[in-house]
Amino acid sequence: MIRNSTLIAKLAVAATLLGTTAAVAQDIKVGALPPFTGPFASIGQVIKVALDMRAAEINAAGGIMGRKVVLVYEDGESNPATATQRAEKLFQVDKVDFLTGTVHSGLTLAVGQVAERNNRLLATTVSFSNAITGDRCSPNVFRVNPSAGMQASALALWAADFKKGAKVYYLGPDYEMGRSTIAEFKKEAEKLGATTAGEVYAPLGAKDYSQFFGQMRAARPDVLYMSTGGTDSVRLLSQLKEYGLTNMKLIGNSAAVTSDNLDAMGNAAEGFITSGNYSTLIDTPANKVFAEKFKAAAKIEANLYAADTYTVLDFYKAAVEKAGSVDADKVRAAMRGLAWDGVAGKKVMRAGDHQAIQDMYALELKGKTYHPLAKVDGEKAAGPDLCTKW
Amino acid sequence: MLDYMQFVLAPQMLNGFAFGIAIVLMALGLTIIFGLLDVINMSHGEFFAIGAYAGVVLLASGVNFWVAVALVPLLMLPVGVLTERLLVRQVFDSADRHTLTLLLTLGLSMIFYDGLKMVFGPNPLRPDNPIPGGIEVAGVFLPAYRMFLIFLGAAIIAAVWAIIYKTSLGAMIRAAAFDRNMASSLGVPVSAVYSATFAFGTALAGLAGILLAPIFSVFPTMGHEFIVIAFTVVIVGGMGSIKGAVLAGLLLTQVQAIASLIISPVWTDPILFGIMVLVLMFRPQGLFGRLGHG
Repeated sequence: MIRNSTLIAKLAVAATLLGTTAAVAQDIKVGALPPFTGPFASIGQVIKVALDMRAAEINAAGGIMGRKVVLVYEDGESNPATATQRAEKLFQVDKVDFLTGTVHSGLTLAVGQVAERNNRLLATTVSFSNAITGDRCSPNVFRVNPSAGMQASALALWAADFKKGAKVYYLGPDYEMGRSTIAEFKKEAEKLGATTAGEVYAPLGAKDYSQFFGQMRAARPDVLYMSTGGTDSVRLLSQLKEYGLTNMKLIGNSAAVTSDNLDAMGNAAEGFITSGNYSTLIDTPANKVFAEKFKAAAKIEANLYAADTYTVLDFYKAAVEKAGSVDADKVRAAMRGLAWDGVAGKKVMRAGDHQAIQDMYALELKGKTYHPLAKVDGEKAAGPDLCTKW
Repeated sequence: MLDYMQFVLAPQMLNGFAFGIAIVLMALGLTIIFGLLDVINMSHGEFFAIGAYAGVVLLASGVNFWVAVALVPLLMLPVGVLTERLLVRQVFDSADRHTLTLLLTLGLSMIFYDGLKMVFGPNPLRPDNPIPGGIEVAGVFLPAYRMFLIFLGAAIIAAVWAIIYKTSLGAMIRAAAFDRNMASSLGVPVSAVYSATFAFGTALAGLAGILLAPIFSVFPTMGHEFIVIAFTVVIVGGMGSIKGAVLAGLLLTQVQAIASLIISPVWTDPILFGIMVLVLMFRPQGLFGRLGHG
């Protein structure tokens, strides 16, 4: 009889345990909308490798609050209209708790509104446009990577040292990111004495940049600032070389020349200067491990997208654990002001505009690696909080 | 003003011309296949991409660029024959030929596109420019490879024209395009001519692929980007017309080149498609008639 009752007690305990494990074992779903097709397809691939890698590591170490992280991918292309439909699907059909992996800035802004309607959170790890954490900020959208403004101020400081009153020519793709990165850099550079030699906006995915070279040659600039990315940069830089336009210093935003498009350029990008928060040479223990592991998985060197996308899951994990829940309102509160360790240094999510504050570097491309030239304090690069929505 | 002509307008028109030749090479295969087989080949862009990737593979295995340029069109011939025999022919006699072949080749293009991405990855590749450098004429810089492209492209266009209009094969192609049954009863091997023409169009796309690779780089979506302009050229020039493809190709790229000096370059594509819409509204047969018709 006594034996029986212990058995029943044991069964009861087991049943409760099973019940709780069933509840605990419910997965945390993270949606991702990287571009797998179109001009940014190569960035999409980097995002996928980085997310898969970090999710596997987090799951191997016990998940987030004991729950497994499951990634659900959809192709965001570079098309806000398609991406909003797919975001809607991720939120309503797949019921993802959190969304990331958006690249195209216009798309991030559009998907941010979908997140707002569904009361779920979105964090971008790639989009540059200032508007995302500026005048079009959203309580549901966070940015882990540096904004266009942060990059611009770091690069403008370099340009001021390079040549006093340098004549700068600007070339970028004609959409949110291209225009906003150029506007930001121009503002910062002109504050420090640079002049504008000319400005041209080409369609995203332009096939032939040589049509702009005549105007560029006639303007005789010292510096060419480019805000192209992906395949566009490959075409621009190789065509510049083809036309012998090599007597100006090439600089640009941190998306212009990255490890995913560098191989196709030959040496056309040698000496290219940009600013950013990441280089494989930044000396932190985490970076050493990460850079090697990423290279083994992706067959290309780790870059800024890889590092920021990898760390977005740490950001989410830390926030969920602090909130003790995946509820969007609680996680949002936990994300505000959250400090965590990124791959190449500390990041702090500014509560006022949801922009991660982090140290920036001027970086010079030598061979296939960016070498840090000078460090710019994160607070100083970020400037004031301009978001007024909350 | 003179400065503007010399530094801006002249190079602009010249670049437009080089780009125009490139587009014509793409449009030629498209228009020949349409003119003869009455098939709108949506996978033409992917044949262009496959040609470029085949070139990259040959170059990577140590083949000289010029040898690769000669080999790629030959490698594309079986691709064209197989596509025509195994796929297009299966639905060719259906009453819905236009819809079915369009959907079939569109599906094929998606398979090819994803296949290229799986094999080569999404990152762009680029063969080295085989003739770097250039010459300066009256202050206008002419890159050597583009000049070469213009001359070679013109020679290829002339050769295609000669094959279609001056050889017995060409006569058979034109006869089959004009009246398939009559040509067949007069002893033209129509079935073989169809395969050969499809393969020829495919080879032209592949050749354009490798020739343009050093300038425009190689990546899985490259076909999509060119095919839209090539289709516009074919529609404006007249579906199936060789002369039309050449003239419309050179004309439209000049419109694009000059327009981008005056308005934002982003609007040059809409201008192109606007012209296409106007042509479809007021002269739906295009500037010139079809192959085998006048």
